[in-house]
Amino acid sequence: MNAHVPAGKRRGGHVVRILTIGAHAFTQLARMKVFHFLALFAVLAIASNFLNLPQHEGPESAGAAVLRSIKSWSLGAMTLFSVVIAVAATALLIPKDIEDRTLYTILAKPVPRIDYLAGRLLGVLLLLFVSLLAMDLLMTAVLQARTAIVLGEQRDMAAALGWPHDAVESLLAETRAAGPGWPLQGAVAAVFVRAAVMASIALLISTFSTSTLFTTVVGLLVYFIGHFQADARDFWLQGGEAGEGAAARLASLALALVLPDFQLFNVIDAVIEGSVVPLATLGRLVLAGGYYVVLFTLASWFIFAEKEI
Amino acid sequence: MAAGLLAAGALRMTWEIPLTHLLRGQELLPPRLDTGTRERIGQTSSAVALGGLRTLVATFLNLRAHTRFTEQRWGELALLFDTITDLAPRTRYYWETGSWHQAYNAASHHLNDSKLPPLRRREAWRSSIRAGRAFLERGIRNNPDDWRLHAALGFLLTDPNKIPALRDADDCFAAAAEAYRRAAEQPDALGYVRRSMLYALARVDGRQDEALALARALHAEGARNHTPTLLCLLLVLESRADPRLDTGRRAIELFGGERRAYDALCNHWRRTRERFPVDGVAAALRSIEARLGIPESESILKSPPPAPFDPDQAFGN
Amino acid sequence: MSEPVPAVEIRHLVKDFRTSFRRRPLRAVDDLSLTIRAGEVYGLIGPNGSGKSTTMKALLGLMAPTSGSCRIFGKDSLKVDSRDEVGFLPENPYFHKHLTGVETLRFYGRLCGLRGRALDDRVVELLDLVGLTDAGGRRLAGYSKGMLQRIGLAQALVQEPRLVILDEPTAGVDPVGSRGIRDLILALRDRGITVFLCSHLLEQVQEVCDHVGILCGGRIVREGRLDDLISIEDQTEIVIRRAGADLVERITALVGESPGASIVRSGRPRTTLERLFLETTTGKEGGA
Repeated sequence: MNAHVPAGKRRGGHVVRILTIGAHAFTQLARMKVFHFLALFAVLAIASNFLNLPQHEGPESAGAAVLRSIKSWSLGAMTLFSVVIAVAATALLIPKDIEDRTLYTILAKPVPRIDYLAGRLLGVLLLLFVSLLAMDLLMTAVLQARTAIVLGEQRDMAAALGWPHDAVESLLAETRAAGPGWPLQGAVAAVFVRAAVMASIALLISTFSTSTLFTTVVGLLVYFIGHFQADARDFWLQGGEAGEGAAARLASLALALVLPDFQLFNVIDAVIEGSVVPLATLGRLVLAGGYYVVLFTLASWFIFAEKEI
Repeated sequence: MAAGLLAAGALRMTWEIPLTHLLRGQELLPPRLDTGTRERIGQTSSAVALGGLRTLVATFLNLRAHTRFTEQRWGELALLFDTITDLAPRTRYYWETGSWHQAYNAASHHLNDSKLPPLRRREAWRSSIRAGRAFLERGIRNNPDDWRLHAALGFLLTDPNKIPALRDADDCFAAAAEAYRRAAEQPDALGYVRRSMLYALARVDGRQDEALALARALHAEGARNHTPTLLCLLLVLESRADPRLDTGRRAIELFGGERRAYDALCNHWRRTRERFPVDGVAAALRSIEARLGIPESESILKSPPPAPFDPDQAFGN
Repeated sequence: MSEPVPAVEIRHLVKDFRTSFRRRPLRAVDDLSLTIRAGEVYGLIGPNGSGKSTTMKALLGLMAPTSGSCRIFGKDSLKVDSRDEVGFLPENPYFHKHLTGVETLRFYGRLCGLRGRALDDRVVELLDLVGLTDAGGRRLAGYSKGMLQRIGLAQALVQEPRLVILDEPTAGVDPVGSRGIRDLILALRDRGITVFLCSHLLEQVQEVCDHVGILCGGRIVREGRLDDLISIEDQTEIVIRRAGADLVERITALVGESPGASIVRSGRPRTTLERLFLETTTGKEGGA
C-alpha cells in the first residue's frame, strides 16, 4: 500500500463531490430508461404537424393555426414531462438509495449530507436539461420545416389573390414570428426552471416522506396549489383593507410564505400565444427559480441532516 | 427550520411582488382584476393551474367547438369560446373565430334555417349578432394592441346585414370609425385600415367635414389610396361641402377618364345597402352619360337601386 | 510515551428508538463503552437485534446517539472528517447494478477526493487485492454474492482508511467466498489496518479476531482478548499423529499415576465440515 497521505488533505471540494454524485444519479436514471419517453415526445411533435385543424377562417390563417398547434403540443408535452420527471425521479432516488443501502456506503465516506442532496438534485436537473434540450431541438426542427412550408403556401396564395405587397409582407412577418425563434427558447428555459423548482420541492418532501408515492402525490399537489400562491399573497396584502377574517388572512399568509409562486412561470403560455419575454425579465425569472431551488434544497438539508438512516 | 422557511418566504416576497408586477406590465401575465371581472378575462382557476398547458387545452376545445359548429349548437359553442379565450386570451384567432361564429354563422342560421317562430327567430338573430360584437369587444379589451381585432370590429359594425340588429346606423358607423381609428394607431396596421375609417366616418351624419379632411389627406398620400370607393367618397364629400361643384368634371379629373369615372360612380350609386352618401353622384352620372352618349333611357339612374336589408321583410312581420 | 489514539472509542453510548406514540421508546444500545486500539481486529458478536448494527451506525455518524459519544481516531463521529479514516461495508450491500466494478470503485474514489492517475492506479490495485481484476469491466448485475461482497470491501478501502468496519461481511456468501473474505481480513490486519467486525457467525470471528466483545440486549456482557476468553485454564490438549494403541495405553497409565489429573476425553479429532467442504470443492487443504 502507498505511503499514507492524510486523508483530510485530499478529500476534495464540495463541487467535485456534488458533480460526482450528480453524474452518478444521472447515469442511474438514464439506465432506468427514463429517456424512452423522448420517443413519445417525438411522435407527439410530429403528429401535431399533421393534425387537421378545423378551418374556421380563410386560408391565410390556416398556417398560423398549425404552427400554434405545434408549439402548444410541444411546450405542453415539455411541461408535463418535465414536471412529472422532476417529481418522480427525485422521489425515487433517495428511497432507492436507502433500500439498496447505497446511502450507507456513500454517507460512510467523508461526504457531507448537503453534498449528497445537492448531487442527487443535480442528477435530476441534468436529466431534465438533456431531455428538454432534445425536445427543444425536435420542436425547433419541426417548427422550422413547417414554417418554411407555410410561408411558401402563403406566398402562393397571396400571389394568386393579387394581394398588395405590404399585406403579403405583414402576413409573412406574422408567420415568421409564429415560427421558431428566441422567444420560444425563453419559454423552454422557463419550463426548465419551473421543473428545477419542482425537483427541489420533491427533494424536500422526500426527506421526510415515507414512500415514493407520497412524495409524488404531495409534490404534484404543491405544484397545483403553487399556482395560486400569488392569489393567496394578494389576498393577504389586500385583506386588511377589505376587512377579511383574521384566520383566512393568516392561512393565506402561510400559503404565500411556504409555497413558491408558480404563476410567474405562466409566461410560457404568453410566449406560445406570441409574446416575447425580454432577456432581462427572463433573467429575473431564472434568478427567482434559483432562489426557490436553493431555499428548498437548504430546507431539505435541515431535515436530512438530522435524519437517522 | 419552519421559522427559516417562513423568513425566507417573507424575504422572497420582496422580489416576488415586483416580479409579478413586471410580468403583468409586460403583458406576460394577465392583469389582476376584481373577482367579478376576472371570471371572464382569462384568470379562472382552471386556466391558472394549467400553466404551460393552456394553449394545448384551448386547441382541443377548439376542435370540439368546430364539432358544435357543424351541429349548429350555438349556445354550447358560445360557452366553449368563453372557455377557450379564458385559456388563451392573447390568441387573436379565437376571439375572431368566436365572434364570427356568433355574429355571422349563428345569425345566418337564425335568419334562414331556424325552425323557431318568426318573433323568436328575430330575437335570436339580434342577440347573436350583439353577442358576437360583445365577444369581439372583450377580445379587444384583452388585446388592445392588436389592430386586426379593432379592424374586425369595424368590419362587423359596417356590415349592412348586421346594422339592423344593432342600434341605429349612425351609432354603428361612428363606433366602426372609432375602431378603425384605434386599429390605425397601431404601428403595424395595414394601410387599408385608414381607408376603412374614412368609409365609416363618411356615413356618420354630421361628421362629413372630418371625413372630407381625412379623404383629402389620404388622397394626397398617393396612388395606393386611390381606390374607387375613396375617390367616389371624396367626390361626394366635396360636393356636400360645396353644392355648386361641377361633380361631372371633378369625377373625370379624379378618376383620370370618363369611362373609369362612370363605371366607378355607377357602382357607388348601386351600393345603397351600404348606406354610402351619394351627394352629387346623380348629377355627375348625368353629366358623364351625356359625354359618353348614353341615351337617357339606358341611364343607370332609371333602374332602381337594390333596397337596404330589412329584417321586417326577412322575418315576415 | 503517551498512549496512542485509539481507532475506535465509544463512551457510554445510549440509543433509543421511538416506536409509537404511547409506548416507551425502545432502547437498542444501553450505556455501551468500547475501545479498539489501532491494529486490532475486533469482533462484536451477539444475537440478532442485540444492537450491533445500531452501534456501527452511530460510530459512522449515520445516526445520532441519544447520549454518549463515538470517536474514530479521536474525531467525533458526528463530524464529517471522522469518516476520512474509515471504510464501511454494510450488510448485503446492493450497489447500483448498472455500474461495472471499475465504475463503482471510481465513483467512491471520487467521493473521497481521488482523481486522475492516482484514482486509476488505486482502482487497479483494489481489484487485484480483492481478486476481481477480470470481472472489473462487468456490470454488478452479473456478480455473485461473494463478488459483490468483495467489491464492497474494495469500495470500503478506496481511500486507504486506517479503520475498516464490516457488518456481517460473509452473510449469504458460500464457504469458498467466505474464506476469501476471511483471508482478506487477515491481509488487512497484516498491513496494520484496524478491523471492526460485526457478526453472529462465531466460528468466523474466532478465526480472525484477536479481541471480541459479546453484545446482548444492547449491553456488552463480555469483552477481552479472544485467547483469554476462550482458553480453558485447567485443561491441556495434545494431538498426536499415528499414535498406536500401546502408546495411548501408556499415556493413559501415566495420567492415572499423576495425582489430581484425569483424562476428560480421547479419540480421533474430527475435521470441521467447513474444512471438508473446502478440501473437496477447491482441492486445496484449507488451513487456518
